[in-house]
Amino acid sequence: MKRLFLAFTMLGALVSGLSAAPPKAKVRVALIVESTVDDKGWCQSMHDAIKAVQKEYGNTLVEYNYSEKMKPVDAGSAARQYATNKYDIIICHGAQYKNLVNEMAPDYPNTTFVFGTSADIGGKNVFTYMPESEQTGYLNGIIAGLVTKANIVGCVGPVDGGDAARYDRGYVLGAKSVNPNVQVKVAHTGSFSDFVKAAELAKTQINAGADFLTGSSQQAMGALKVVADTKDKTIWWAGQDTSQLSVPEAPKVIAASSYNYKAVVEVLIAKREAGVRGGENIPLNFANKGFVFQYNDKVGKVLTPAIKKAVDKAKADMTAGKLPLAWKEVKF
Amino acid sequence: MTHGFVYNILLLGVPFSVALLLASLGEMFNQRAGVFNLGCEGIMCMGAFLGFLPPYFLKTGPLAPYGILIGFAIAMVAGIILGLLFALVTVTFRAEQGIAGIGLQMLGWGVAGTLFRHYVGGVTGVEGLAAWAIPGLSRIPFLGELLFNHNPMVYIAFLMVPASWYILFKTPWGLKVRAAGTAPRAADSMGINVNRVRYQALMLGGAMAGLGGAYLSLCQAKMFADDLVAGRGFIAVALVYFGRWNPVGIMGGALLFSLAQSLQLSIQVGGIKFPYEFAVMLPYVLVILVLSLTRKARMLGPSSLGIPYNREMRY
Repeated sequence: MKRLFLAFTMLGALVSGLSAAPPKAKVRVALIVESTVDDKGWCQSMHDAIKAVQKEYGNTLVEYNYSEKMKPVDAGSAARQYATNKYDIIICHGAQYKNLVNEMAPDYPNTTFVFGTSADIGGKNVFTYMPESEQTGYLNGIIAGLVTKANIVGCVGPVDGGDAARYDRGYVLGAKSVNPNVQVKVAHTGSFSDFVKAAELAKTQINAGADFLTGSSQQAMGALKVVADTKDKTIWWAGQDTSQLSVPEAPKVIAASSYNYKAVVEVLIAKREAGVRGGENIPLNFANKGFVFQYNDKVGKVLTPAIKKAVDKAKADMTAGKLPLAWKEVKF
Repeated sequence: MTHGFVYNILLLGVPFSVALLLASLGEMFNQRAGVFNLGCEGIMCMGAFLGFLPPYFLKTGPLAPYGILIGFAIAMVAGIILGLLFALVTVTFRAEQGIAGIGLQMLGWGVAGTLFRHYVGGVTGVEGLAAWAIPGLSRIPFLGELLFNHNPMVYIAFLMVPASWYILFKTPWGLKVRAAGTAPRAADSMGINVNRVRYQALMLGGAMAGLGGAYLSLCQAKMFADDLVAGRGFIAVALVYFGRWNPVGIMGGALLFSLAQSLQLSIQVGGIKFPYEFAVMLPYVLVILVLSLTRKARMLGPSSLGIPYNREMRY
């Protein structure tokens, strides 16, 4: 038992030590994204994280380059060029890059390849990362369950897979935890970037009686726009991207969360420094500061102290590991 | 008020069809003249982006109330210019129309995305065009909200159906267009300048595709993003075949597709046990199914569709 405790303690020390230590030698990091690094969403969050780490460690220790608008077909060529140019860490930001990374990685054993979101354990030089986004969904669900007057809340999902599936299920669990009678309408557009379809789905949800909506992926902005434009009834929103707190539609956003990929990048650099090139999955959660959660105090009375109390308690419990969420059991 | 299931489908399906309807009607003129323009998607992208810019930049000042109107106008002009470019490539230079169309699609998508990034920078909303309830008619029970409480572009788009039918079948220019697409050699021998007619049709088609794109950014999403059009330009091309090159048939196709789209969203929201993956596919499967079942319709199409006209050559 003592040995086990010691092993856990050492592992904990190792992980905490790995999470923020600057590298001793220069690390060259490359990022490959399907959209652009200023898309105010998925791609920008990883770009900003790498830039933040670069700023913290210094340009002399972290060299950074990126390739945008890379479809999986084109990304292979870009990734190979980075690998042959001796980049140390190549992050292919999207689950769509899984196959190309897994195929390419054995050809460049000294390079660390990374893709996500995925819960898979890759090869010896492949890391994956997976946001446990049921946690952020749960918090937004609590808000939805306590704010709704119609007892109908909606979720505009992209696809039922990856972190979106976890977020949607966490949202259902959160809403039901504080309001067992609430009806949660989860639906998907089948796309991450069809803003028009997301808007239509939001209208459908509102017409079906929902007075509180949420949504993940970049297309959620289309749904948020509909929420903000609905004048004949009051609809509220909780976001899965903190940039939604600074857009013109923000007065309708009660709270929002974001992924903090800085924690992932720091771990990647530290692991490589320690000689670990892959074979692990890096989770993002509240405990490892992989998530950021913010209220929008400008929304006024709708954000009551009772809501804040319930959300803060759930967040603290999740951070302490006291609130496991059985998200896989949620069926739509 | 919480609407009924069927009512919801009808209510959302009608405005959803407008972008497709506008672009398809334009594409119909292209194809009736003998040119199919797969670049419709690219023109819609440019229309969506350029239409979005005026209301985005003219939020204050004397021109602010006209931002949306200017946006629609610019989107149409951009469509005309791109239609002209496509005509130059396919009519004058007689390039393969399919390849040129794909090129135009990529050009429009790429330029719109690049300019958006440079001048706007990220997904941002605009005020957009509000609904305009037609006095009196909008108060009719059930039908009022369904048909007479939309933004003005919805009414304009549906009025374009009879207008397009009239232009195509009842005017001398419409006759020239049909002749250029069906029997260009005969038309030429009758003194019709086939290439000029094709240029005109492509410019008109471009203007309508641009308008369709602007509808997406100014009326539907009220914002612009890189992938806003999301393949609707290609659906518009397919709907022309679906509608048998007839405005009324095209309207039927656009409505069918949009209602199927609205149906699949309502199925999901209604909690009906049906795999959402299949629900999302439903509109596309429906179009393919109808196209497959009406193969004979192909025979009704312009016989010289896709064939560049060269008066010096015999076919």
